[in-house]
Amino acid sequence: MSAAALNAETRDIVLDDVFPHAPETIWKALTSAQLIARWLMPPTGFEAVEGNTFTYQTKPGGNWDGVIHCRVLEVVPFRRLVYAWKGGDERNVGYGAPLDTVVTWSLTPVEAGTRIQLVHAGFALPRNESAYTIMSGGWKKVVRQLDEISGEDS
Amino acid sequence: MTEAAPNPVTAVMRALADPTRRAVFERVFDNKEISVAELTRGSGVTQGAISQHLKSLKQAGLVAERAEGRNVYYRASPQGLKPLVTWMDHYGVFWRERFENLRDLLKEIDP
Repeated sequence: MSAAALNAETRDIVLDDVFPHAPETIWKALTSAQLIARWLMPPTGFEAVEGNTFTYQTKPGGNWDGVIHCRVLEVVPFRRLVYAWKGGDERNVGYGAPLDTVVTWSLTPVEAGTRIQLVHAGFALPRNESAYTIMSGGWKKVVRQLDEISGEDS
Repeated sequence: MTEAAPNPVTAVMRALADPTRRAVFERVFDNKEISVAELTRGSGVTQGAISQHLKSLKQAGLVAERAEGRNVYYRASPQGLKPLVTWMDHYGVFWRERFENLRDLLKEIDP
C-alpha cells in the first residue's frame, strides 16, 4: 500500500512508496507522453524540457473549462520532475475554484528498487501571506474536526 | 465594500488571517460553546473587539451563535472550512488512484 497523507501543516498531498523498478524505468513512465496517457491522463504538448507548457483536460466545473495548465519547472533526469499545475476560475468555489499548485516527482534509488515521492503542493493561496498565517497556527486543530465534517455528509 | 459576494475561500482566508481573530476562533473551537464575556476574559482586548471578530467569523461561516437570555454563545462551525479542502480532497483521491495506475503500468512494461 502506498502511504498517502494530507499534510496538515503545509497542505501538501504527499504519496511516498518504493516501486520494484529502476529509476530509469519509472522516469520513462513519468516523461513519455504515450506512457503518461496510460496511467495519468493524455497530456497535450508535453515534453520533459524546462519551460515547456502543456495541458490536461479534466472535468469542467462551473465557469472553468476543466483545462489544467502546466509548465515544466525542473527536470533532473531519473531524479526529479517538477511542473506547475494551474486551473480553475475565480468565480467558482470548491471544485473548479482557482488552483495554483506545483507537482513534484522525486526518484531515489533504493535496494528494493526506487523510492518514488509525489508532492502536490500549494493548495489554497500559496503566494498569499494569509494562507501561510493560517498554516502557522490553528490549522492542526481545525483538521481534527474535518473527519466530523465528512461524517456529516455521508 | 464593493465586493458583492466574495469567494468563500477568500472569506475564510481573510477571516483567519488576523492573528487575534484566529486566536478567537481557536478558543471557540476548543470549547463546546463559549460566551463573548468568557472570550473577552484574559484576552487582552475589549469585548467590543471580540464581538467584531466574532461577527467576521460568523460571516465567513466559521462560527455559529445561539442566544440565551441576555447572553450569546458561540460554537465553531468547521463546515466553513470546507471550501479550502475541496481541491485537496479531490487531488488526494486523484493521485492515489493514479499512483496505483502507475504501479500497474510499470508492472506491465517491466515485469
